[in-house]
Amino acid sequence: MRARATAVGAVGSLAVLAVAWQVGTLLDAGQSPGGTASPAATTTATPGASASPATDGSFVGAVENTRYGTVQVKVVVAGGKITDVVALHLTDQGGRSVQLSNYAAPILRSAVIKSQSAKVSNVSGATYTSKAYLLSVQSALDKAGL
Amino acid sequence: MSIDDTGAIRLSTPPPDHEARYRRRARIGDALVVALWLSSAVAVALFLVSGGTARFGSVSDAVTSVGIMTGLVGTNLVLAMFILAARVPFIDRAVGHDRAIAVHRALGKPAFYLLLSHGVILLVGYGLASGLNPIAEIGPLLAIPDMPLAIVGMALLVVVVVTSFVSVRRRFSYETWHLTHLLSYAAVIASVPHQLSIGSVFSPFSFERAYWLALYVLAFGAILTHRLVEPLASSLRHRLRVGRIVTEAPGVVSIYLTGRRLRSLESAGGQFFIWRFWTLGTWWHSHPISLSAMATDTEMRITVRDLGGGSRSISAVRPGTRVWFEGPYGVFTDAGRTAPRLAIVVAGIGITPVRALLEDSTLRPGEATILLRASTLDDTFLWGEILQLAERKGVEVTTMIGPRARTGPGWMTQADADRGLTILGLFPDLLESDLYLCGPTPWLDLVEADARAAGIPDHQIHAERFDW
Repeated sequence: MRARATAVGAVGSLAVLAVAWQVGTLLDAGQSPGGTASPAATTTATPGASASPATDGSFVGAVENTRYGTVQVKVVVAGGKITDVVALHLTDQGGRSVQLSNYAAPILRSAVIKSQSAKVSNVSGATYTSKAYLLSVQSALDKAGL
Repeated sequence: MSIDDTGAIRLSTPPPDHEARYRRRARIGDALVVALWLSSAVAVALFLVSGGTARFGSVSDAVTSVGIMTGLVGTNLVLAMFILAARVPFIDRAVGHDRAIAVHRALGKPAFYLLLSHGVILLVGYGLASGLNPIAEIGPLLAIPDMPLAIVGMALLVVVVVTSFVSVRRRFSYETWHLTHLLSYAAVIASVPHQLSIGSVFSPFSFERAYWLALYVLAFGAILTHRLVEPLASSLRHRLRVGRIVTEAPGVVSIYLTGRRLRSLESAGGQFFIWRFWTLGTWWHSHPISLSAMATDTEMRITVRDLGGGSRSISAVRPGTRVWFEGPYGVFTDAGRTAPRLAIVVAGIGITPVRALLEDSTLRPGEATILLRASTLDDTFLWGEILQLAERKGVEVTTMIGPRARTGPGWMTQADADRGLTILGLFPDLLESDLYLCGPTPWLDLVEADARAAGIPDHQIHAERFDW
């Protein structure tokens, strides 16, 4: 009796986990910031490919919502180049978010300035913050025509 | 309390189908085991479906996710342990308090190691993400809101677990150990804020959060209801006091407790209560003791022997002493039966629950056989009552008096061992019987081993060990 119950429980648990993994993957594909294409992100932003010439100045990016709070950045453009990225708001919901934001933002900022684009890799351990940060950068770059 | 004629009324009801009832209880027990497994799986599943699957992309993310999942499963097991220790009547009836506590103990170490690894794995995961080694990561970890409290909780848990290791527990009195064990509630409560605020797991208004809060309410609700409110209300309602005290044999007394509406407690013969006698020397000490006769509406009886400090002070309580109690508990009862026949082996003070069990059992003539065992004539207390009941219910009784054999089966007398008596000789139908054993642990272990060697299935053995 007992052994059978344990076996049923173990197999049932594995089934629950397998289903959960599938469902989680599906939900994630539908929800991740990269998946829900915002209109701003669809326009190409490769330097040089843009038709309109870049304007100097500060460009405020879109507010991106994550489960850990909103993210918004301002991109400073001078001489057609990204010279700075200023975080206006970073993920701050949940105990570790502030720490992670403070850790990830400088890394993302220098990566964006170095590559002159929003197409840089996420900071590991701060996936949500990274994705939202880069989306906001991209929308600012779109406004700047970069 | 006399052996009244309620037995005659009970005899007229058809005998219960013990096997069918056992199968039903076993199914409930199985369902509980499955539920325990599934609840752990659900804990992980909820994490996976609410964003967890996306968090295996990098090494640090994967390590962190594993750390979160160990914490979730560990917490789930701790909450299950609370429910198992809460003496929920439904669980007590289905599997018995003994087995519930056995599972509670078995879960202790896995839960503890899961929660410890939760902390360690997350230090590694966070460290990998921020480029720090796990030790250096402790600083930033402590800076996270609610984390210091959670670490206090973990430390309390360490104290609870260490004091429960068998070798350590022996050094403490039951009361000290029990008080320490209550720290586990504080430990879990201290851990709740970090679970709620480190929102990666429990973001506000999510199903996951609602599920976990419900689980906490269930576990703490079970403890509060069945370990505190219900016993307290019951103690106040029934107004139990010590009545007369009757000496049954040298060092053995029956304590009659008087109260009101005691039948509404619906205690079955063979069950025990946990008693608290309100005298200066005994109030802080609780004693699990079986009733030695069925309760009437106004009176209950327990029979105790002077062993150890606790039971001596009980036998010295004065009439009029207020008594609080928890219970009734246990499945050393007719409801615990699983097989068509009944074999009872009982020694010394172990007679008490058997006396009540016999009174409460519906038995076909010839269904049950009892072996009464005593070292000396002084240990034959309550035997007269058993013999009277047995005669009325058609129960066959064998008595065996004398010190334990040095050679052969050690639970018999030397004379019986020498003439080659076996447990199957005493109970020819043993394999289709429930074997109810009650007596001192070393003696009982020998009987149980003999019965197992004869081939009786585990579930047919019902043992109550009396060490006090």
